Amino acid sequence: MDKRYGIFLSGAFCAFLGVFLVAGAVTPDKTFSPLENRNLQQLPAPSVKTVLSGQFMSDFETYVTDQFPGRDSWMDLKARTERAVGKEENDGVYFCTKDTLISRFDPPDAATVSKNLGYVDQFAAKAGVPVYFSLIPGAAEIWSDRLPAGAPNASQKAILDQAAASIQNARMYSTYDALEAHKGEDIYYRTDHHWTSLGAYYGYTALMDALDMEPVPLTDYQKTTRSTEFYGTIYSSSGVRWVAPDTIDTYVPDTGITVTSYTYDSKGVPVEEARKLYDTSFLTVKDKYSMFLGGNQPLAVVRTSHTDAPKLLIVRDSYTDSLVPFLTAHFSEIHLVDPRYYKLSVADYIRKNGIDEALVLYSVPNFTSDKNLVWLTK
Amino acid sequence: MVFSSLYFLFAYLPIVLLIYYLTPLKWRNLVLLAFNLIFYGWGEPKYILIMFASIAIDYTHGMLVARCQEKGDDRGARRAVASSVIFNLGLLFFFKYWDFIAKSLAAVGLGFMPVLGIRLPIGISFYTFQTMSYTIDVYRRDARCQRNIVTFGTFVTLFPQLIAGPIIKYKDLDDQLEHRTHSPEQFAAGVQIFVVGLAKKVLLANNLGMLWDAYKAMPTEQLTVVGAWLGVLAFSLQLYFDFSGYSDMAVGLGRMLGFEFSPNFNYPYISKSVTEFWRRWHISLGSWFREYLYIPLGGNRVSRPRLLLNLLIVWAATGIWHGASWNFLLWGLYFGVLLVLEKFLLLRRLEKLPAVLQHIYALFLVLVSWAIFAVEDFGHLGQYLAAMFGGAQGGLADGAFGYYFRSYLPTLLVSCAASLPLGARLWGKLAEKPKQILLPVLLLAGLVFSTAYLVDATYNPFLYFRF
Repeated sequence: MDKRYGIFLSGAFCAFLGVFLVAGAVTPDKTFSPLENRNLQQLPAPSVKTVLSGQFMSDFETYVTDQFPGRDSWMDLKARTERAVGKEENDGVYFCTKDTLISRFDPPDAATVSKNLGYVDQFAAKAGVPVYFSLIPGAAEIWSDRLPAGAPNASQKAILDQAAASIQNARMYSTYDALEAHKGEDIYYRTDHHWTSLGAYYGYTALMDALDMEPVPLTDYQKTTRSTEFYGTIYSSSGVRWVAPDTIDTYVPDTGITVTSYTYDSKGVPVEEARKLYDTSFLTVKDKYSMFLGGNQPLAVVRTSHTDAPKLLIVRDSYTDSLVPFLTAHFSEIHLVDPRYYKLSVADYIRKNGIDEALVLYSVPNFTSDKNLVWLTK
Repeated sequence: MVFSSLYFLFAYLPIVLLIYYLTPLKWRNLVLLAFNLIFYGWGEPKYILIMFASIAIDYTHGMLVARCQEKGDDRGARRAVASSVIFNLGLLFFFKYWDFIAKSLAAVGLGFMPVLGIRLPIGISFYTFQTMSYTIDVYRRDARCQRNIVTFGTFVTLFPQLIAGPIIKYKDLDDQLEHRTHSPEQFAAGVQIFVVGLAKKVLLANNLGMLWDAYKAMPTEQLTVVGAWLGVLAFSLQLYFDFSGYSDMAVGLGRMLGFEFSPNFNYPYISKSVTEFWRRWHISLGSWFREYLYIPLGGNRVSRPRLLLNLLIVWAATGIWHGASWNFLLWGLYFGVLLVLEKFLLLRRLEKLPAVLQHIYALFLVLVSWAIFAVEDFGHLGQYLAAMFGGAQGGLADGAFGYYFRSYLPTLLVSCAASLPLGARLWGKLAEKPKQILLPVLLLAGLVFSTAYLVDATYNPFLYFRF
């Protein structure tokens, strides 16, 4: 190696490091990544305390990774490289047939599962109204034929069977059968972990069955396509950028329906906020699924024009957001409680609000990992 | 701080290089010492105190040894050496082995040592060995006593090889600490080695690690025979590329700063015997144990029973050096026994076998050793080894094996090829011109892909937290 070549090579290396150092320093930091749907780490200010505890260092490491110039393109390059070298998954997401992305379902922690089942049962015993309970299997179970051959995937059916065998006080019904019967249809999003409105409809028929009510036939509704540009959460977490976007449809019209969200402001004062069954403003942002009821909230009440119909309370995760439209035909009020944010006694709430029936409805992946169901026993 | 991270590559390293080269020659050690301390304190700031203590105490001991020798006081010099060895081993013992011994004693009903829950200071096994060898070498007159505490501190804390080796003896670095040369050619050679090491760690080792983790975490009733072998093969390659990648990065960074470190690995997986494997694997550790333990115990100039005992001691120490856990001791003794067998019985016979059988023999024993190394829990280890040798509860193979094999086949093939001297040999045959064109392209590709994998850093372990 001669000197000039040495200078060239050394210079090129230093330039590569320097370009990203400088680019990172001069580009304004982003506060939020819509793609990953999370806040990004900001430049931490060192203090004696944070340096000694190491907090500053770990924040700084996250900062460099979060704010790295061209972050999304690097993630894209990595995912494409993985596919090119024969991998069939990236960051815990399988590349499936029919242009579908499915998150791997790992064997859940057995203790969490049996604890959560116990909480549901305790809740059913003290609720004072009939409590229905069902678990919604995810795409990894119903669409397992789309997974790469032999891909490790824990059974969600086993969890359902365990629940059926152990629940004493709640009335369990099967959402699984309804979805399994329609597995050939677009019942899940291909890029998001939720069920589609169509999937929710089949979930609704299963619930109607359990409640001994007559479901409205799907043909009575007119399908409205809300978006054809939806990229969901699995799209984000997978780093995969080569799949086609999803379509969001709705079936039930939102006329005569009001939604009120109850929460607390930063000072702890109760706040009421009007929401919508379909908040179409979310269709212009990345997080389009939040169109249904405007996204996460501790407590919401959906009021319909059927004032003489019963009142239903649902302890739920976000799958219920797209189920609620179908329920509006049968209830006067639907109360939605999310124990991740709602920490008061649900049994008290049922008594005070004259609830007629309660439902605990979770997706299997959420139910088997949730740490907040303990609040149900209050 | 670890090398395979965005904050090291795109913040720490360019800043260090810039300031280092802007600083006049005579101040460079001081600059380097300051940056070394930042590097070390990054993960656990309190442990910088260990660095200060190590510098101060080993510096003083070196001076003491030298002063005693000037006065012809050999007993005093010996005492100073002993005191230094006790300090360094004491440091290592306390931070690395205290909890292990306390727990082991408690397990047999002797719970008189409290379990302190000590977090292992990163790299402690490397730098205590380095500083220990310094005083010993001063006593043996193999090394000069370093009277400048900044220069000495720079040696103790030198960031390229501080946390994962290679283990460098002071005598090999003495001249370079005071008069090292810096040239673009040397820097460029460093870049080359560094990028190769980075790619080994980020592109190969991390990926192989995910495959091994899948098998390590697999419930035993799902383990299959071929799956267990696939897992242990993945770990063997992971550890090699991780460790040798780290050593390459150390050597490369050293060159960028004007230091020459000896390579730590020499294609260990082409060995034809376990003896040869240990001449090619973690060379600096083997040489340290030979020079500071095996030879002082009498080397091979002792009676046969004594020789056996010496070898057993050396390999028990080598094993337990790798981590405070019984499986590492077992792993060391496993090699000790194999090396004794080869020395007295097998080696002569092996040499008469066809080369391919020799390779199979060595690789087989090494693969088995990695199972012992990687699985800490003896119950789990027993089941894993049983699975490898036909007693797998999941049968011969299953769908998951097919999935993993298919997904990782290209990575495994590239890794196997990269563990042979093949690439280097082909590179050597290239003419100068195509080499000069190809080199920057390859280096850029290595950097770009490594960066992409680091930005999406879901899996980037540092394997030597146990060392």
